[in-house]
Amino acid sequence: MIRLRIPLGVILLWALVALLTPVLPLAPNAIDLPHILTPGSPDEWLGYDDLGRPVFDRLVVGARTSFLVAFAVVSLSLIIGSLLGAIGAYAGGWIDLVLVRVIDVFLAFPGILLAIALAGVMGPGIDNVVIALSVVSWVGYARLARAQVLSMKERDHVYAAVAVGTPPPQIIARHLLPLIGAPLIVEASFGVAGVVIGEAGLSFLGLGVQPPAASWGSMIRDGTRYMLVAPHMVIAPGLALMVVVLSMNLLGDRLRDWLDVKNQSRKTVDN
Amino acid sequence: MISLKRLWVLLLIVLCTACTDPVSDAFRFGLAGAPANLDPRFATDAASARVNRLLYARLVDFNDTFEPVPALADWEQLSPTHYRFHLKTNVQPFHDGTRLTAHDVKATYDFILNADNASPHRASLAVIDRIAVDDETSLDFFLNRPEPLFPGYLVIGIVPAHLIAAHHPLHEHPIGSGPFSFLARPDETRLHLLRIRDQQRFEFITVPDPTVRTLKLMAGEIDMLQNDLPPELVDYLEHDRMLRVQRTAGTNFSYLGFSLEDAVTRQVFVRRAIAHAINRQEIIRYVLDNGARPAQSLLPPEHWAGAQDLDPITYDPEKAQALLRQAGYSREQPAKIVYKTSSDPFRIRLATILQHQLKSVGIDVDLRSYDWGTFYGDIKAGRFQMYSLAWVGIHTPDIFDYVFHSRSIPPNGANRGRFRSTVADTFIDHARAAPDLETKRQWYVQLQHHLADALPYVPLWYEDHIFIAHREIEGFAIARDGNYDGLIHVRRSPPDAL
Amino acid sequence: MFVRFLISRILTAFAVVFGVVCLVFFLLHLVPGDPVEVMLGESARPADRAALQQALGLDLPLHVQFGRYLANLSQFDLGTSFYSKRPIRDLLLERLPATVELGVAALLVALLMAVPLGILAAVKKETAWDVGATGVALFGVSIPNFWMGPMLILVGALWLGWFPVSGREGVASLVLPALTLGTALAAILSRMIRSALLEVLNEDFMRTARGKGLAERTVILRHGLRNALLPVITLVGLQLGALLSGAVITETVFSWPGIGSLVVEAIHRRDYPVVQATVLCISVSYVALNVLTDLTYARIDPRVRLGSRP
Repeated sequence: MIRLRIPLGVILLWALVALLTPVLPLAPNAIDLPHILTPGSPDEWLGYDDLGRPVFDRLVVGARTSFLVAFAVVSLSLIIGSLLGAIGAYAGGWIDLVLVRVIDVFLAFPGILLAIALAGVMGPGIDNVVIALSVVSWVGYARLARAQVLSMKERDHVYAAVAVGTPPPQIIARHLLPLIGAPLIVEASFGVAGVVIGEAGLSFLGLGVQPPAASWGSMIRDGTRYMLVAPHMVIAPGLALMVVVLSMNLLGDRLRDWLDVKNQSRKTVDN
Repeated sequence: MISLKRLWVLLLIVLCTACTDPVSDAFRFGLAGAPANLDPRFATDAASARVNRLLYARLVDFNDTFEPVPALADWEQLSPTHYRFHLKTNVQPFHDGTRLTAHDVKATYDFILNADNASPHRASLAVIDRIAVDDETSLDFFLNRPEPLFPGYLVIGIVPAHLIAAHHPLHEHPIGSGPFSFLARPDETRLHLLRIRDQQRFEFITVPDPTVRTLKLMAGEIDMLQNDLPPELVDYLEHDRMLRVQRTAGTNFSYLGFSLEDAVTRQVFVRRAIAHAINRQEIIRYVLDNGARPAQSLLPPEHWAGAQDLDPITYDPEKAQALLRQAGYSREQPAKIVYKTSSDPFRIRLATILQHQLKSVGIDVDLRSYDWGTFYGDIKAGRFQMYSLAWVGIHTPDIFDYVFHSRSIPPNGANRGRFRSTVADTFIDHARAAPDLETKRQWYVQLQHHLADALPYVPLWYEDHIFIAHREIEGFAIARDGNYDGLIHVRRSPPDAL
Repeated sequence: MFVRFLISRILTAFAVVFGVVCLVFFLLHLVPGDPVEVMLGESARPADRAALQQALGLDLPLHVQFGRYLANLSQFDLGTSFYSKRPIRDLLLERLPATVELGVAALLVALLMAVPLGILAAVKKETAWDVGATGVALFGVSIPNFWMGPMLILVGALWLGWFPVSGREGVASLVLPALTLGTALAAILSRMIRSALLEVLNEDFMRTARGKGLAERTVILRHGLRNALLPVITLVGLQLGALLSGAVITETVFSWPGIGSLVVEAIHRRDYPVVQATVLCISVSYVALNVLTDLTYARIDPRVRLGSRP
């Protein structure tokens, strides 16, 4: 139970903070130059950043940005990617062919160029961050889902379902997606970390959240530049990110086990 | 797991091809960005310009007050449109052994002036009508209009005429007559030069990440570096007993630029409010680590055409608020400004502070950072409301014509904010037409007073040049414009002196 | 049959590369920012701009430029850099070895870390071993390369003095960047191996193998791992492609003269021919890897062979 409750608690806390941030009494943008890079003290225990802003306040506000971006991107690209991948693999033929080529073109393409292009065309904004990151990350899920379905669709219970005349969408949804869910979920739980850090890179290129707004990724990125003189800047957002990723992953494991049990019971029914 | 074995073998093969030797007593100089082009006829970026100064010699240079002074050649003005240059007697030969003559000078400038060659320096030399060689050591420049500042234009490195004729790829194998000769460029990140005087090797090593460059300096993998470090890292290195930090006041001018056609930023009250809302002293003290001096004008006061008696812009938030009220803005109806900056982290950091300081007097600033290509393109095309940038390596006061005259509105010049002032135009025209430097200076000083009132730019500061090296490195003098000429005299102190 | 499969794979690979070539060309010209402006710097006059545009062929209509580009490409002419004026073929040949070297080393680091971690976590599922392996993996994935790199330099180069800080000189200089790049990949890989192994451990053939009285070790390594490899190979193929193109941050941190840093510099300067050629090179190597992955698939899992339904 601990393995379920603690991670679930962490994610819920993250969501709660994200939700409540607008009403909390915080001063994440209060620049105070004399305080620049002051380390933690009893008054302000996480210290101040490179502009003399309280790291704690920015951490809380950044939680909101990172939560919104991470969940939007991961769920969007997970859904789109795995659906397309599964459909392609199941349908085979030219549909699969086109899908695979599209995936290849996306993968063989430098993301940074795409990001700069999107930044130039769409301008900054959180919704554009989500679009840009999803455009890049759906292919990973699609490829994985496709590979999984390719190896799964020859299994007995799928054959059985086909033989009984179950329509393909139902086969994908009820027999294939649950089976291929586990690796996808593992990938997705890692995706959260990738998205949080990726957002920092985008805001750097003019696409992500713009200063003075805070996000964990940009806090880590800014903190890295001062790792020699003020290591405290990177520790708080770095730990926050790690705890969240750890929780996501443990949850992913639980979910995997749970799906596993369901599969096995269904398998016996199908057979 | 067969593949793993194969991977090992592959790795071993790859590693062995990577084996190289070098242990040498070379001086290693850390750069933030690699020089893009080692051919002075085409180079435009600052890193190339600085390295090319070492590889090539030029006719004219500038002294500390930015007056043109003879380098390769002395000159005499025979008429307002006719200059005669005499090569000095001690001119160094080219690195391939051939002698540098007036023919090489003519060939270099003729090449640039030939439109087919598409040199980016051509238009700045458009004042040249023709060049005539008198003899091996002297030549005449005929101008198509009088230009007293003309000698100051002849700062391009001279390349050998016979190599121009042979289409020699100078960008790959530079041959000039500067104090350093080219040895090798193993890859983009490494450039090896030889100081001819004492056969001392120099390696220029590009390390883009400032933290890594700092660590490389501390680990002794580079001996010295100049600029491009955040002030905090400079401060950190100052505490390293193995290192020594040198500073010199610089002349690179940081400023805020505005669109003068935009409904908000066209109002002089708004721009003055912005000027008074910025706390330069505090930023210089806490963020720039005292590594800058406040600027009042594009040209520093020590420039021969600079204005020494400009009133400093004071930090006065109340006055700023009053000015905003005069312009019709209030806390309830704040002025809204979109502020563009490049994605350089340090620039973003400064911009965030300015955003905060403007916010506290009641200006809402929407800050947007763009990658350099996008940002620079937007600025040059005039797509901005407010932006921050710096003028680097400005030597001649022509810059005022190019930046503030109404005829210099893009694409004809760099008047990107579209500043139209008949007063400024008149001053600039008078200054340009003035026959001698003193009269020119007076007009330019008057112009700078006018600009301080009209504020098409809000001046910020001139950042210092900082040179950091290991203790045994001696004799490097930092140049005002940040060039690397100090390397000509740099040396290691003998071990017993340590 | 197999030859036909191979030929069709190679043909489609060409289609993908062509798609990338088109996309890059038009996207580049769509992106704001003008190479001429970046090249000219501050002091240029309008006449310079026009002359330079003409010299670079940028004054022509886009479709003409594209036609020229394709024509040159068909003769294996990649053009010259706008900036350094060097032939791009030389630039690529200079940088490709560095990138391959780093990519292979990083993959090796990743496999050496991930395979034991993944097996350990799967076999000792839900024990302290599993949690420990998970922890190590997560540590790897939540640390961004831009922090990991300088940190490794601080420890490995400055404190211990074992490796050079940056640059590409000798074997030692490869260690820190390969570790930086490899750990993140190891994290994902080990999780994937764990999950895929768990998936197959309960399958019938595993029970059969155990039933035959084979040692648990043999069962897991020979039967389990082999069958768990499919998703893992997908990921490795995917990631190796990413390692070739996406090592941008690591290459920049370690001033490693590879393809990743080349393409970023070129994008920032809007050096169109260099960006086009680099992306072409990346996509070719990526697609080639892909074909190899597919072939490996077919060898490991006969069901996938020929990518069609039996």
